[in-house]
Amino acid sequence: MQTLNYQFPATRGVPRPVHIGCVASGDLEILAQPAADGDPSDNVVVRVRTSVNGFDTVWHDVLERFFTRMPLAGTWELNDFGATPGVVTLRLRQAAEAASEATS
Amino acid sequence: MTDTVLLPGQSWQQLLTRRSFIELDALGRASALLDPGSVRALAGPFDRLESPWLAPQGITPQADDGTTIVRGTVDGHPVVIAAIEQGFQGGGTGEVSGAKISQALLLAAADSRAGTPTAAVILFETGGVRLQEANLGLNAVAEICSAILDLRPMAPVIGIVAGTVGSFGGMSIAAGLCTRLIVTPQARIGLNGPAVIEQEGGVAEFDSSDHALIWAIDGGEQRSATGLADDLVPDDADLLRAALIDAVNAGVAEAGQHRSQRLDVLASRLATLNPSDPPSPDDLRRLWGPRYTPVPASGTAATADATTVGYPETRGRSWLRALVGDTTIERVIPSVLRATTQTASYLAVVPDPANRFYRAREGQVGLTESLALAQTVHDLIDADDGKAVKRAIVAVVDLPSQAYGRNEEMGGLHQAMAAAVDAYHRARNAGHPIVAFVVGTALSGGFLTHGLQANQILALDDPHVEIHAMHAAAAARITLRTVDELNELAKTILPMSYRVEDWAKLGFCDGLLSVENADSPTRADVEKATSAIADAIERARRGPLDLSNRLDSEAAVTTRHASRAVRELLARQWNPE
Repeated sequence: MQTLNYQFPATRGVPRPVHIGCVASGDLEILAQPAADGDPSDNVVVRVRTSVNGFDTVWHDVLERFFTRMPLAGTWELNDFGATPGVVTLRLRQAAEAASEATS
Repeated sequence: MTDTVLLPGQSWQQLLTRRSFIELDALGRASALLDPGSVRALAGPFDRLESPWLAPQGITPQADDGTTIVRGTVDGHPVVIAAIEQGFQGGGTGEVSGAKISQALLLAAADSRAGTPTAAVILFETGGVRLQEANLGLNAVAEICSAILDLRPMAPVIGIVAGTVGSFGGMSIAAGLCTRLIVTPQARIGLNGPAVIEQEGGVAEFDSSDHALIWAIDGGEQRSATGLADDLVPDDADLLRAALIDAVNAGVAEAGQHRSQRLDVLASRLATLNPSDPPSPDDLRRLWGPRYTPVPASGTAATADATTVGYPETRGRSWLRALVGDTTIERVIPSVLRATTQTASYLAVVPDPANRFYRAREGQVGLTESLALAQTVHDLIDADDGKAVKRAIVAVVDLPSQAYGRNEEMGGLHQAMAAAVDAYHRARNAGHPIVAFVVGTALSGGFLTHGLQANQILALDDPHVEIHAMHAAAAARITLRTVDELNELAKTILPMSYRVEDWAKLGFCDGLLSVENADSPTRADVEKATSAIADAIERARRGPLDLSNRLDSEAAVTTRHASRAVRELLARQWNPE
């Protein structure tokens, strides 16, 4: 298992905690939470725990692309069990969708 | 997987428009069963009660440890659902996920005792004990079994096995204790999974690549057609909810009528099962039928092997003989021995080279051993009925495991073991001090059946004493590691260790005894053990009737902090703020 930490700039916050997915084979779970009081609200802090080591660059690129489109500030935790970049992107979008549903 | 077939009364249109239950995740399943709007999840992912043991082994944990606890109502009745997420670690029972289930059951029992009967529903999708948390998972299963039995007389405990993982390992014993068991055709219920049996007994014993065979033996239809499950329901969320509503409204079962209490049925069924000429799964349906009632003796009934056999000298036998002195040791059956002294009744499972169940010849706990243990314990309880001081029961434990065999699975080993677990629990709650004394190996389902329901557990401090969820070679294969890797991990991951001194740090050891000769006890060894057992009996008489001392002991406070955190958090969230 490898733990990876990233930060990206963000503009608007995750309105409420969102949980998506499961740590199942080829899948991952995402926990997205609003920034805690006192934490900067203009960036997103991402922690990835993945069962597959050595894909730091791929994770960085997938996450950067997603958060450029969806600059949702807050704390994002990804617990991964070998999801492909496609599945990761799908789960990230589901999380963003669930978060925006909460605001509308 | 089985082919999708229509069940009686189901049309193709219904099949096509149904809402699949199997395709839902744990929370989705629980929500589909509860009254709309009543769903309240407890100890969810944001409470972050993840397993403390997985990350150090390089395994990604899940934020809720793969078990969702949900409160709500079913047809207006208060219900708590424990839903196991099959995707995470194959639904394996770990320290946290296990503690969540047992605590949900205990809290439901507390509410029921206080006047609000609260039914519990367990969605079993599990391969059994999570081997990465071996001994803590094994103990968690024992605690779950005990908690089901605590709740069952006050409110129904309903098990649902939908698939596709099914229910295997010790959790199937828990399934065998349920008031009612609902299954789908995709479900499987068994004690040992096909792959483990093939690994232990060879491909001739069980071909784990033969899916038709697996479902013919473990499948939901077979279990329902042989009376080992109550309702067979298609994979349809609405129909499963309807079956659950029916089960909740039916309430508790009449005392003595639970499957795990019907020793008469178990005995009559086992008498018709001849392992050297086993019935086909189809024949078994005809022999046993869908109702759990006594079956008539059949022509093929096996008779006990009367030939004189040499019984191997094992630690279990030596210690039993040493502990009871001049007292006669009687054979309940050749593989289950009982001796009653002034102070206690001693029980041991020992090898019987002539056992008609050939997979149980080396001292494994199999079908007939489970029945013999259950009968003996119930007899002891009945004999002391009304007495102020109940006789102690000492389980002398030296067993290689449960019996891994096809006949065992076909006959429902999980259900037979449930009968023994039920009996030990009844004895403990009736005030019989139960002491487990581990003198050799105490593995897996064998130990769950004979030992882990005890008030007090003692073990010899000896390199050949091994307490674990699975022997090292098998555990290594299943977790995709080498035995060396496993041993290396076991040095730092306490619950995985095979060393008894590490096991003693987990919180449920009530005494570790160093002796001069563990194989053949000396006079001093026997005196030491006798006095330790007497002390344990006294502690059991003063202590709680439940298993709470395993969580409150000094060692548990340090090692089982995750279990304690689960208990505390669920209790806090149980009632809405």
